[in-house]
Amino acid sequence: MDSHRRTAVNEVTPASRNFTAVTEQVGHLNGHKAAAMDTEAFHAASQRILASINTVIDGKADAARLALTVLLAQGHLLLEDVPGVGKTLLAKTLARSIDCTVSRIQFTPDLLPSDVTGVSIYNQASRLFEFRPGAVFANIVIGDEINRASAKTQSALLECMEEHQVTVDGDSYKLDEPFMVVATQNPIEMEGTYPLPEAQRDRFMARISMGYPDKDSEIEMLETHQATSPLAKVSAVVNAADVAAMIATVQQVYVSQAVKEYTVSVGRATRESPLLRLGASPRSMLQLLRAAKATAALDGRDFVLPDDVVSVAESVLAHRIILDRKAAGAGETPHSVIQSILSRLPVNQDPVNNPARSSAPPAGLRRNH
Amino acid sequence: MTLAPERNASRGPTATGAPGQVPARTRVGAYPWAMAGAVALSVAGAAISLNGVLRGWAWYLPILTTVVVVCLTIATLRALRAHPLVVAAGGFASLIAILTLTFFRSTGIAGFIPSGATLAEVDRFVRRASETVLAESAPVAPNAGIVMVSCAALGLTVILIDALAVPLGMPATTGLGLLAILIVPATVKPQSVGVWGFTATAAGYLLILAFSQWFAPDSRTAADSGRNPGQFRRAMLTGTVALVATLAVPAAIPGFDHGTFPQGSRLNPWGAGTGLNPMITLGNSLRAPAGSGRITYATNAAGPLYLRSVTVDNFDGESWGPDDRDAERRPVAGQLETGHDIVAEEQLRQVTAVDTGTFTSPYLPLPYAPETIRGLNGAWTWDPATLAVKGSNTNTRTQQYIVVSTAPKLTATLLQQSSQAVQGIPADFTRVPGNVPDIVRSTADTVTASSDTPFAKAMAIQKYLRSGEFTYSLQSPVQGGYDGNGLSVLADFLTQKSGYCIHYSSAMAVMARLEGIPSRIAVGYAPGRSTGSTVSVAGQGALPEYEVDARDAHAWPELYFQGLGWVPFEPTPSRGVIPAYATETSTSGIPGSLGNNDDLLPGATAPTPTPSATAVPLPGAGGGAGDLGQLLLPWLLGTAAALGLVFLAASPRLVRVGRRVRRLRTEGRAREDVIPLAWAEIRDLGTDYGLPPDSSETARTYSARLRHSSLLGEHGGMDDAAHQAIRSLTSDFERRHYGPPVQDTAGRGRTGAIAPRIAAVQHSLRANASLPRRLRADWLPPSVLGRWAWLLAAPFRGLNRLARRTAKAAARSWSRARGGLFRPRGSQ
Repeated sequence: MDSHRRTAVNEVTPASRNFTAVTEQVGHLNGHKAAAMDTEAFHAASQRILASINTVIDGKADAARLALTVLLAQGHLLLEDVPGVGKTLLAKTLARSIDCTVSRIQFTPDLLPSDVTGVSIYNQASRLFEFRPGAVFANIVIGDEINRASAKTQSALLECMEEHQVTVDGDSYKLDEPFMVVATQNPIEMEGTYPLPEAQRDRFMARISMGYPDKDSEIEMLETHQATSPLAKVSAVVNAADVAAMIATVQQVYVSQAVKEYTVSVGRATRESPLLRLGASPRSMLQLLRAAKATAALDGRDFVLPDDVVSVAESVLAHRIILDRKAAGAGETPHSVIQSILSRLPVNQDPVNNPARSSAPPAGLRRNH
Repeated sequence: MTLAPERNASRGPTATGAPGQVPARTRVGAYPWAMAGAVALSVAGAAISLNGVLRGWAWYLPILTTVVVVCLTIATLRALRAHPLVVAAGGFASLIAILTLTFFRSTGIAGFIPSGATLAEVDRFVRRASETVLAESAPVAPNAGIVMVSCAALGLTVILIDALAVPLGMPATTGLGLLAILIVPATVKPQSVGVWGFTATAAGYLLILAFSQWFAPDSRTAADSGRNPGQFRRAMLTGTVALVATLAVPAAIPGFDHGTFPQGSRLNPWGAGTGLNPMITLGNSLRAPAGSGRITYATNAAGPLYLRSVTVDNFDGESWGPDDRDAERRPVAGQLETGHDIVAEEQLRQVTAVDTGTFTSPYLPLPYAPETIRGLNGAWTWDPATLAVKGSNTNTRTQQYIVVSTAPKLTATLLQQSSQAVQGIPADFTRVPGNVPDIVRSTADTVTASSDTPFAKAMAIQKYLRSGEFTYSLQSPVQGGYDGNGLSVLADFLTQKSGYCIHYSSAMAVMARLEGIPSRIAVGYAPGRSTGSTVSVAGQGALPEYEVDARDAHAWPELYFQGLGWVPFEPTPSRGVIPAYATETSTSGIPGSLGNNDDLLPGATAPTPTPSATAVPLPGAGGGAGDLGQLLLPWLLGTAAALGLVFLAASPRLVRVGRRVRRLRTEGRAREDVIPLAWAEIRDLGTDYGLPPDSSETARTYSARLRHSSLLGEHGGMDDAAHQAIRSLTSDFERRHYGPPVQDTAGRGRTGAIAPRIAAVQHSLRANASLPRRLRADWLPPSVLGRWAWLLAAPFRGLNRLARRTAKAAARSWSRARGGLFRPRGSQ
């Protein structure tokens, strides 16, 4: 196990601390819900995080914003791209910008599930089995090249992602909040890998392809990052409590009936599309709406617009849908299908379907061509 | 980078109309039904125009059934995704089945499968149809043969059109199939295709094109709008050229704007030697817009004469025609004899010099009754019974001849006295046709009930036909489907009381026969006009010259009176001249029947006014208050129509303005409630000025598109207020529509006044729009028109949905049936 543990100030590493303390801490975090931030503080904090990431990764502001969105929406992120475009760098930068525990797992074929989750060891002195927490006990877990590990190990991680807890020998251990897994995956060089099955891809809130930077960003990157590692300059700009408060803020973002209907209609459209063999699941609808809420909050609003749903729909849905064989043969991609669905889906802008409102006369007939 | 799709980028102001990049293959379900509907509409619509080629409407139902059945079969097969060849074969099979069911039910197996006996029947039907085509003239009676052939032809056209439009992907060529149908009425019917037939055909054709485009079953018929920016210009150019040609060609070629091409009929109007029926071509000659076949003649008679070509005396059968009596004809040499005694004291002897010019006919136009004819070229024969002169191997083209004709000077008294029993004329002229319609017989009896002498009866019939009950019309028989002649046509004429000389003359002739007066119909020319010049004829000096052309073609009855011979009458109102003896003093004031007679009065240059013409009242003699009303009425109607037009033109504008005022009204309404209406108003404003919102656009994207378009002018310049207004209205709308509900009234203070912001946007839009767009936004706002079109199309959308659902259900049940059929049995 190649576990990188970052020791933060006044923080104990998971391996060395007493486990009961950990569970207490978790209980403390869960029991007392963090108070929501006000809009200005939220905006300032998010801007600090984004600025910090952007000093390291040039020209990838969108990817940084989406990574933060996923963090605030309590989701997990899958970074999928060719080697060397900054997947791991993005994950590390995000982790370092936040003052919280981070662990990094380099997935290899011989990695065992217990390496991830932890294992019970017999303590000769106390004559008791003691639980030694695995790498997953951190606020941000970076899973590098997740498709290199065996399916067994992958699913051990995925259970943690879904349940936010670890079960070893019949005992369940809660994980710290916030908890986010940033997994990277290499789409080429697939030999000897175990690609994530659809059901497990569904656990990730969003998938990002980093893509190559544009010319200017690349030149700038060469200039600024010649001598020193960019990560060295990064220091934490917010702490875990701030992040928890930000998450609470996101949770309070208002979602109107119209937006709910629009979100559902997006999901239904993917299920009814003849180009798709598998449409978006109800879980993905929930995650889509959560991501939209985070987007709205990052945009400084306390309510969600259909635009927020649209802006995250591709990243949230593209890795969950499966193309029909004929559509794939015709050169369609999940992204193009989602784009075409969104470009056709009518947005209801009449106030008639909004029960939260006082009844106003319809503004006119709905134009659906 | 594929995350956070910026939807603005793909939808700039220039690409608003571009369809989505993904090919539309989701709507295969409705496509066959829509397409079949369009094909059925176009073909059934084209078939409407066959009315007039086929008489009446009885033939339309079988044709409609055939077209619909074939279309439905094709659509069903296509909905089941059958192979195109199977679809065509299925259409063909259904055509055979429906034809068998309609026409050969008794001989077919199970009523719709043709058997050997059916084939024999088909042969008989086809022969009958070909006889009809050869022997009859339009409108032909819709007998089973011709209807079956029509049904088969139209059914085949449906299959052809469908094959062209769908599997071959050449929807534009389907127009050829439709033209093939339309060309029949266009050449046969005098008034061409007709409005309804053409409209329905054109609508169907456009729908075929539109469906091929909208549904775009494959890439061949999909629009390539992206690659063809000049498409609109090219379409405009083609349309303009077509329009100019349509307007210019008829102007260059006179008579091109009527159904039968009169160019051809001028060269050969009465079909020399083809045996065509002059009774039928007469109507077409009358309807020709420009007079062709000009004949000039000079006569020493007191006025212009009737020129008679031929007579019709056999009133049996479906269609009447001249009986040539070839066996009895004698060559024209020396004297022509009437064969009956004329006992009148005074005989008028007239010399007439005729120049036929380009007029071509086997029958020679002559004044009655010709005695000698000099100067003819070629061999001519005359019929002793009718004195009709016919060329045996020649025709009337460029003939110049001098006719001496004699006629007794007839007076009413003489005719009144002639009540002896008729004798010495062939039975052809007295035989009452069989199966005379009841209406003809009863009308004749009623009209002549109070008359005792033959002349009184004739006068009664003429008076009845010239009465105000009847109107002279060249078109209404065509529209009513009784153009032509024959006893059934006569019955229609007496019912509709509208027609032209053929109808009047045959009515009088048949009714006279029913009353025991020998009669025949003379076909020729009404007197015509003076040319103003004179022609010197040997031995006669200078004679006034008159001219007639195709528009003077005429038919009139000739009745036989013992001792006086054949006496012409004039029952047709507004044509010809009533002979002096047939003018009743008591009825000389019949109004309205002389509207067309002023061309008989050559005006100041007339050498001698016709004595008969002086006997009739001049038009306008009865002027006064009635005329004033007549003069004012068109003005009143015109003003009303103009007002109506103004109102209609203004009404979209009125609706638009009314809607805006209603939306922005603030009293009795919380300001928060005005915001969504204000946003709807912004959307409508954008629509009016050429940037309609897409249904999939959010408020934010539409607002951004509006602000980035050129419609609002430069940001930061003079139109900054409008940009600000749109931005603030958008965010107000978003907060109002998607934001948390406002609990208290405090939130209401945040939104500024709505109306000034809307006004700013509108002002900016107006200032940046071109004049045509501004006019359109004012008078024909697309937001209103689009909504009207949406409402108008609602029933069709319902039908579309219904059809789609039916197709889906049919496909499902079919697959279930097939699954049940092929499921292996006994697997348990």
